[in-house]
Amino acid sequence: MLVAEGLVGGYGGADILKGVSIKVDPGEIVVIIGPNGAGKSTVMKAVFGLVEPRQGRVTFAGADITRLATEQRVRRGMSYVPQERNIFVSLSVHENLEMGAFVRNTVPRAAYDRVYALFPPLAEKRRQAAGELSGGQRQMLAVGRALMVEPKLLMLDEPTAGLSPRAMDEIFACIRAINREGVSLLMVEQNAKRALALAHRGYVLSTGENRFADTGAALLANREVAESFLGGVG
Amino acid sequence: MIEFINNYFLPGLILGSIYALGAIGVSMIYSILRFAHFAHGDLMTFGAYLAYAVVVALGWPPLAALPFALIGTSLTALAIDRFAYRPFRKSRPIVVVIASFGVALMIRAAVMLIWGVQPEPYVTGIQAPLASFEPLRMQEKHLVILGTTIVLVAALHLMLTRTKMGKAMRAMSDDADLARVTGIGTERVVAWTWVVGAVLAAAAGVLTGIDTQIKYTLGWDLLLPLFAAAILGGLGRPYGAILGGYVIGIVEELSSYPLFGDDPLISPGYKTGIAFAVMVLMLIWRPQGLLRGKVL
Repeated sequence: MLVAEGLVGGYGGADILKGVSIKVDPGEIVVIIGPNGAGKSTVMKAVFGLVEPRQGRVTFAGADITRLATEQRVRRGMSYVPQERNIFVSLSVHENLEMGAFVRNTVPRAAYDRVYALFPPLAEKRRQAAGELSGGQRQMLAVGRALMVEPKLLMLDEPTAGLSPRAMDEIFACIRAINREGVSLLMVEQNAKRALALAHRGYVLSTGENRFADTGAALLANREVAESFLGGVG
Repeated sequence: MIEFINNYFLPGLILGSIYALGAIGVSMIYSILRFAHFAHGDLMTFGAYLAYAVVVALGWPPLAALPFALIGTSLTALAIDRFAYRPFRKSRPIVVVIASFGVALMIRAAVMLIWGVQPEPYVTGIQAPLASFEPLRMQEKHLVILGTTIVLVAALHLMLTRTKMGKAMRAMSDDADLARVTGIGTERVVAWTWVVGAVLAAAAGVLTGIDTQIKYTLGWDLLLPLFAAAILGGLGRPYGAILGGYVIGIVEELSSYPLFGDDPLISPGYKTGIAFAVMVLMLIWRPQGLLRGKVL
């Protein structure tokens, strides 16, 4: 579904990505892990068109989208949740969802019902300003907002960063539920062990290059990966 | 007390209405397009003169000429954005600020060339105070100004809270990067921001003409209080801009109230200094404004 090949580039100056390739097949959960500065978030941005790669190619559903505007990527069924500042704080919860569906001309009620069913705390607070939500609820809203276009591929950049263990459990459970509905997911995650346990496949990046690529279970079992990237065997 | 209301509070309310309408545009343009629009005052002037042209050509009352001024100013603002600001969308904000300064000079020069430099009233002759409001010395034109402001603010409120585009404007004002990520067509939002800003600015210009008279420096002279009102209310907060406009308008008028003895508190000559003082104090103590807007 998504194929990114040989991405090279960064934000002006030095290249952060030095030839990264990523693939997501329909129905998969794919996780990118790696140390800080490995270029995990930059890969996501390059795939979504927020960073223009100097070299490399991104195709989605068979079409080359390397130079396509972000808005058009959303129209084609990609949705992205940034790590920070991922909700409109001065809009109400419901208005955030409405904005998520901006590219759709008509939005069926079912689209809202689906998000509210997935995240019951949001349903209770639909008229409240999004800025008043707790950390976990903000993350739910950010994911809910991204689901409003009914994406084929949902991209999450560290969805559990800074959350309490309980909120983290909820988010991971929701990710599994979203995937069961047939949505493919590409995510960057600090919480590498839990993310790999959830993922169908994983990529380990380091200094802007692919280091390992395998199924989630195989990466968890890999001694080298465990020692260098998962904080030792445990 | 009635003297106080007639001579200080009521004029403050009228002035505040005009400031509020102008400041909303300044505030929204700042938060959505990320630059201080120095030509905003001159959009007011332009709108005021468009209405004047209709009044002179067709002999209509100024209020009937208002729709022409609103539409004409909106189209002009869209054209200005297309040719003077859009090429700099990805430049640093200061580049667009300077461009808007150039646009301000061009609009003012065009107004001077077309309509001359003499101040002109819309309607000549003396207007009698409305008797039914005694002892309030409220004239018909004051009711027109307050009524028009209320209608426009109500329309703005409905747009911002009930329409998809209005909500998108609030979203983009909140976080432009996230708006792009969400797939919101940011150029369409920008275009509507110009329409809203221009409509309110032109209305403010026409209302100034209805209140007193129009001249080519009308809007330029109001630029400082407009920015002061927008900053006071919190940049990116339309309701804050309205609040800021009324606070500045009323404070400016009250500043010459003879609180102690017979002399005005502050000489009326320093009235415009009040807006400047409010702006400086706000930037020092509460740069996010009363309603927590963006920081300059």
